[in-house]
Amino acid sequence: MRRLPLALWLVAAALAASCDPVHEQQIDALGGETPGVPRGPLHRPGQPCIVCHDGAIGDPPAFSIAGTVFAYGNDATPLPDATVTITSVDGSVQTFTANAAGNFYASANDYTPKYPLHVSLTSGGSTIKMVSHVGGNGSCAFCHSDPTGPSSPGHVYFNVPNGVAP
Amino acid sequence: MIRMRSVIVGIGIFGAAAVIALACSSPSSTATAQEVTPSEASFAPLGLVLIQACGTLDCHGQVGRNLRIYGNTGLRLSSANVPTSLTPTTADEISQDFGSVVGLEPEIMSEVAADKGVDPERLTFYRKARGLESHKGGTIVLPGDARDVCITSWLSGSIDEAQCTVALTYP
Repeated sequence: MRRLPLALWLVAAALAASCDPVHEQQIDALGGETPGVPRGPLHRPGQPCIVCHDGAIGDPPAFSIAGTVFAYGNDATPLPDATVTITSVDGSVQTFTANAAGNFYASANDYTPKYPLHVSLTSGGSTIKMVSHVGGNGSCAFCHSDPTGPSSPGHVYFNVPNGVAP
Repeated sequence: MIRMRSVIVGIGIFGAAAVIALACSSPSSTATAQEVTPSEASFAPLGLVLIQACGTLDCHGQVGRNLRIYGNTGLRLSSANVPTSLTPTTADEISQDFGSVVGLEPEIMSEVAADKGVDPERLTFYRKARGLESHKGGTIVLPGDARDVCITSWLSGSIDEAQCTVALTYP
């Protein structure tokens, strides 16, 4: 019996991995790239990064934590250099700095948080804490999506009333 | 011989009629099933704990979950509300959460309530919280901790509100 070449097995695996209709719908819902913004650290601010950065065959490198920090709740002005502090349930702390687009992320190879997580943001010497914890999804925008509604507090932003994050 | 055949035919007709009658009968309009549930009136302290521990938007604060938890920092019941600690959880949300908890396994919940909370491990939601059964959220209740006492005391019919309050301070 002849063995299938490795390449054929890889093609079959890729095809199998691409046959998740729910995942495909999630990716399609994100739309295309913004014109003029190449794929990379600055692209797609405010989107649920781990929909694509999930480590599946054919997808971009896996992230364990990723999101975008905006300055305000009512527009998409990014907040570069904001510090995102993640505290795992075991007490370990990891910080990330938002880039020019407000994006921050961690490779799944470099950082494995232990849920539930608590999150705080620091900018300009002020710190705000997220009231609820993160239960198990590393994409901020999985919960913090726009528009604001009964199932979403809207995108992550820093300038909140009384310094208390919703 | 003819008489014997008549008897057999008669029995067959009677049997068929009985089967048809059974197939066409409907439940009595007056019959009821008596379910025993833990008290909804005393559920609120536990409800607040479930909102904090289980009801985040990436866990049970989603409409697709069997154990769907509404609350101020997670999924909101009214389309006029948004997830925020700046507004309180509503009584309607607590009532819906009660329905979620007792509606998951109503027969087993009824048995546990009738037994005053003995052997709560019969309930899937308790086993998952305790990590005794596969749970994506991991083990969030330890034996004897404030969350555990809050849940089991409510199941017993005498909720320990003080421990529920302590449970709200958990990270």
